Amino acid sequence: MYRLIALSGLLFSNLSFASNADKSEQNIVAIIMFVLFVGITLLITYWASKKTNSAKSFYTAGGGITGLQNGLAISGDFMSAASFLGISGLVYLSGFDGLIYSIGFLIGWPIILLLIAEPLRNLGKYSFSDVVSFRLKQKPIRILAACGSLSTVILYLIAQMVGAGKLIEILFGLPYYSAVIIVGGLMISYVTFGGMLATTWVQIIKAVLLLSGATMIAFLVLYQFQFNFDNFFSQAVNVHAKGEEIMAPGGLISDPVSAISLGLALMFGTAGLPHILMRFFTVSDAVEARKSVVYATGFIGYFYILTFIIGFGAIVLVSNNPEYLNDSGALIGNNNMAAIHLSHAVGGDILLGFISAVAFATILAVVSGLTLAGASAISHDLYANAFLKGKNNEKMEMKVSRIATIFLGVLAISLGIIFEEQNVAFMVGLAFAIAATTNFPILILSIYWENLTTRGVVIGGSAGLFIVILLVILGPVVWVDIFNNNEAIFPYKYPALFSMIVTFIGIWLFSKTDKTKNSTAEKKLFEAQYFRSQTGVGIDKPNAY
Amino acid sequence: MQKQYKTEAYKQLKETRTQIVIPLILLTVTSYFSFIWVIAFNPDFFGLKIFQTKISIGILLGFLLILLIFVITLIYVYLVNKKLEPLIKKIQKNV
Repeated sequence: MYRLIALSGLLFSNLSFASNADKSEQNIVAIIMFVLFVGITLLITYWASKKTNSAKSFYTAGGGITGLQNGLAISGDFMSAASFLGISGLVYLSGFDGLIYSIGFLIGWPIILLLIAEPLRNLGKYSFSDVVSFRLKQKPIRILAACGSLSTVILYLIAQMVGAGKLIEILFGLPYYSAVIIVGGLMISYVTFGGMLATTWVQIIKAVLLLSGATMIAFLVLYQFQFNFDNFFSQAVNVHAKGEEIMAPGGLISDPVSAISLGLALMFGTAGLPHILMRFFTVSDAVEARKSVVYATGFIGYFYILTFIIGFGAIVLVSNNPEYLNDSGALIGNNNMAAIHLSHAVGGDILLGFISAVAFATILAVVSGLTLAGASAISHDLYANAFLKGKNNEKMEMKVSRIATIFLGVLAISLGIIFEEQNVAFMVGLAFAIAATTNFPILILSIYWENLTTRGVVIGGSAGLFIVILLVILGPVVWVDIFNNNEAIFPYKYPALFSMIVTFIGIWLFSKTDKTKNSTAEKKLFEAQYFRSQTGVGIDKPNAY
Repeated sequence: MQKQYKTEAYKQLKETRTQIVIPLILLTVTSYFSFIWVIAFNPDFFGLKIFQTKISIGILLGFLLILLIFVITLIYVYLVNKKLEPLIKKIQKNV
């Protein structure tokens, strides 16, 4: 706890420094709001730390989270600052195209609900690799699944940290380094002390704040147009430099291969994100798991409709107001600041302060969830099950998970600083592609395909993981934009279509041809596993709090 | 132990689940990929305006697709609670 207090001290001193910085008069509301948020979440962490006394409570908050709470927490994981500011910024820039991403992020949810949520809850304990290794060999499967989880989590973390540093730099006038360190420090304290219980409640509070803030902005925008959408969109078309084009698909997707490939990555990537999958173990049973998806889908869908209105609102109310533009006529900050400027345009300093604080809170909550998922891959999958083969004691596993949290936190801070000047936008795309290529296929096949064997998963899964990373490096985003080569070796921006085919064919081929004794035993275990996945017979009861 | 996999209730559970899941999966995948397909091959169609308004077909269909996604999750949970949950309860009781 001392570290917690020392850290909040550091935070206050930094923030008061911020209030002395040049652009801060209007940020007083933001700072008060933010300090309040941090104070409350640290209190929650303190409360949670007393209940976090077993591996189960650390990874799953004791398994007693309700469907509604989990739905909010899941939607909180999804409503990152990147998706709030990024999608509204994309809508501000090119209109309709923002909707393509929103729908892509949402379409994964019916897939999760229909195919994954219930079996996942019924078969797993703490992480999705519990399910994959249910009837397969622990060691190789755990190592592969942990590689998939960790690469997804770390890429996602880098993107969030760099985004966070830049955003906080603009919003609060804090230097980039201290912003990244504050985010990293708070995230380490939430997760190390409060585990999943604190992480979940931080996420729930933030989700409620973000949904209310976004609703407020959208309401105030539409209010100015008496809720007349026709009038609203006409204004946007009149004002925007691209005119009518903002109402139709633009240049985001130009050829069918990219269209399908991006579509696959978004649709199945969601179903392979370890920090999302992990949330299904925080509810008591399959019934609550189902409920959480319905709530989450509702909240996320509603949120994307809001970001779309906010993006268009910014076109109408911000893009022609010199107060928000720099000398060259672009938005102050960058396009991702569209929602922030709009909050000021419709709600003055108070709403701006509120939204800024919420954006900061959002980053904190999302990185905490990611770190917890990464830590569980290290402590539960690699340490406890791959290396000690389940023979460890729980105390030791918890210790390792906390060390892993601190390690990941420090890693995230360092990478955030190293990548400051890099374009990290592609990293979230790559994280989704890896999740769709490795995590999703091995999870879905382990639940539904009887003939799956360890050999198939290991060869197919690692081939897919290797190919997807290779194709991104050789593709236009890294090979041309970052390495400054003239032409990409692999012509498509989105590799998921190709890499998913490699994984599925690899797994199918090397499972089918697997005639070892071991594989026969694994196939025999399928019936029992399927029975449990469908009925929930044999699952743990939640801790009573 | 083997017997529980052969019960009538479990057989019915598996069959009914397939009957619920397959149509909903098809609906999800086809509606999404048709949307993506139009964007890739016929983007101008999504730029057409609805009646006398400035609202484009693409935006309207995009919003409706978001709504449809949510409705699919509602239908699924409704059907599962009504048709599968009693069977699951029955099986759990007998084990």
